[in-house]
Amino acid sequence: MMTLAFIVLAGPLAGAAAAVAGARARAAGWASAGGACVALAAAVWLVSGQLHRAPLRGLGGFLYVDSLSCFFLLTVAVVTVLAAVGSVGYISAEEAAGRLSGFQVRLYYVFFGLFAALMLASLETGNLGLLFVLIEASTLTSAALVGLEGKATSLEAAWKYVIISSLGVTIALAGTLFLFYSASALHLAPDLRLTWPYLFAHAHALAPASLRLAFLLAVVGYGTKVGLAPMHTWLPDAHAEAPSPASAMLSAALLNTGMYAIIRFLAIARAGLGPEFPRVVLLVFGFLSVIIGVLFMVRRGNFKRLFAYSSVEHMGIIAVALGFGGVLGLYGALLHTLNHAIAKAVLFLNSGDIALRYRTRESAGVRGLLAAVPLTGAALLLGSFAVLGSPPFGLFLSEFTIVRAGFAGASPVLPLLLLLLLAVAFVAFARTTTGMATGDPPGGDVGAASLYPSRAVGLAAILPVAAGLAVLLVLGLWIPAGLGTLISHSIAVL
Amino acid sequence: MQNLSATSVPGVLLDLSGVVILLLAFACLGSKLFNRYVAYYGAQSVVLSFAAGVAAYAFGSVELWILAGATLAIKGIGIPVAARRLLIRRLDLKRDAALSTGLSTSLIAGGGLTAFAYLVTRPQLLPHGLVAAAVVPLSTAVILLGALAMVVRRHTVAQLVGWLIVENGVFLGAITLVATFPFIVEAGIFLDVVAGVLIMLVFVSGLTRELASASAAELRELQG
Repeated sequence: MMTLAFIVLAGPLAGAAAAVAGARARAAGWASAGGACVALAAAVWLVSGQLHRAPLRGLGGFLYVDSLSCFFLLTVAVVTVLAAVGSVGYISAEEAAGRLSGFQVRLYYVFFGLFAALMLASLETGNLGLLFVLIEASTLTSAALVGLEGKATSLEAAWKYVIISSLGVTIALAGTLFLFYSASALHLAPDLRLTWPYLFAHAHALAPASLRLAFLLAVVGYGTKVGLAPMHTWLPDAHAEAPSPASAMLSAALLNTGMYAIIRFLAIARAGLGPEFPRVVLLVFGFLSVIIGVLFMVRRGNFKRLFAYSSVEHMGIIAVALGFGGVLGLYGALLHTLNHAIAKAVLFLNSGDIALRYRTRESAGVRGLLAAVPLTGAALLLGSFAVLGSPPFGLFLSEFTIVRAGFAGASPVLPLLLLLLLAVAFVAFARTTTGMATGDPPGGDVGAASLYPSRAVGLAAILPVAAGLAVLLVLGLWIPAGLGTLISHSIAVL
Repeated sequence: MQNLSATSVPGVLLDLSGVVILLLAFACLGSKLFNRYVAYYGAQSVVLSFAAGVAAYAFGSVELWILAGATLAIKGIGIPVAARRLLIRRLDLKRDAALSTGLSTSLIAGGGLTAFAYLVTRPQLLPHGLVAAAVVPLSTAVILLGALAMVVRRHTVAQLVGWLIVENGVFLGAITLVATFPFIVEAGIFLDVVAGVLIMLVFVSGLTRELASASAAELRELQG
């Protein structure tokens, strides 16, 4: 089992190793995709083996895999596979068009592999200090991806991202410090005082004043990485400027990793302080994020920014669900995490294809997608409706669960407000994406198949989009027994 | 570290280092020359490594000795020298003109934040008579001052120094509050800081090449 846990980490590094060894875009891309598949296979194997067993522990608490980590591992591993396969298409096309040099392509694969491996590693550690170290390291590697194109705007986005996120995560470190301190009455060995299962087991004995401060600092700090408002300002820039597969990784994997860290702190805070304080904190940040996300989605402009604000909104929804609490709320939060991750990966990967064809990221410049490139246009429409929570896609089910969890609480005002905001989001988002899909195509070589250097590469661009949509459809109609058990076990951990 | 009293010799030395570190953060906030930012940061790191040495002596901890040495070598010497060579001299940076408030305003705001740090951390969190009760408010104030510097300064180099000061504040809190995190964690934090500085150096150079000046005030392209 322990070996499997390490194979999960080593998988994504295959692409990085190939790129360091000097492989060209296509070879490094296939290596990276293959490695990601290995990681996913190992993760599935690990999860199915762990499903009915005690958490996997080792290395003095530095390695700790329970159901909650398994769930997030699975989510991130799926997203990594989608993004790695999508990278083959996007990066090869960019190189063929001469917009990325060979050196930039190699840099991309090195940092992509490191980024994925670091996120997976942060989900496998039980030590909250090491969690900080790995999340900060993943910030740095992904900043390199954001700034990859080297233009003034992408460097600006990368700078904003790295400076705001580093400050945020350093605040989370201060929170970790106060958590460590709150455990000083426990007489645990120093190594164990940062280890999640021990802290959780002794949560009632932690000093409440410093635990409260620790939780608040952790939500603000890791919330910066999650993109909770008002700490979200880096997010739309970074998502808009990164290469599309990297945007998919940011939105679908990195934000969830941050949310995972918040959930770990939440569990300790609920056990130590009672449910009321964490509930209020999460509801405030959650609703603020949904409102800000929805308001900025009304504006038309860069379509990758639109998707990014939709991520802010969805992270807000997950925070609200965690705030509603109860079995329903937590179930909805986790299910929504998985659904949103896949839907957003689909949208961003698809946006790569659109940006390559139309040479613009402005939605006003994109018309007639359905007529010119039927596959991409259909995927854009289906992906939009999936991410907006229309049936029969998975997000409908999870948003429905979250709203029900809200109505199970004391007041119906909050869930009604959430429904209203979701309706506004639907109109604002669909207005832009349907506008892109319909109308007359601008002519020229927009629909040309020669965009990708070979047929296999073109297939790699469309395959993850189609596969993601299929998974979303399945999740909307039927939740596999194993996944249901995994989510229930994760809730039991909390 | 919980039982180190404020009146013992190491306790007094730690307290004193904390005060000097806070003063150096104020000095950085009140300065306008890039050279000085880096010099004050370097001096702050040297004092910090002295504080780590005192804590290491008081606890007989080998790991803290290693950290004290690494702090001196990397934060006290390595980063300031690199920043001076690669940024200030190469980009010919002298006076920082990209301030969003006057120096006196930011110093007054810094004073307010320091008072706030005392208000928040002192009464409820910490037992009286221990050195931690004296140093944790200081380290919180350093964190807030660093963040303030990042907000009122719009030049990328100044923001980088601000982040490093925040990080120093957390480190000061860590050595007095909990003696030390597990060594792997501390080493990891160190690596992160070094990697962070390296990657930020690349971005600052890139931005300077792309724009006439690397002031974040001119980063106005991405809005909304």
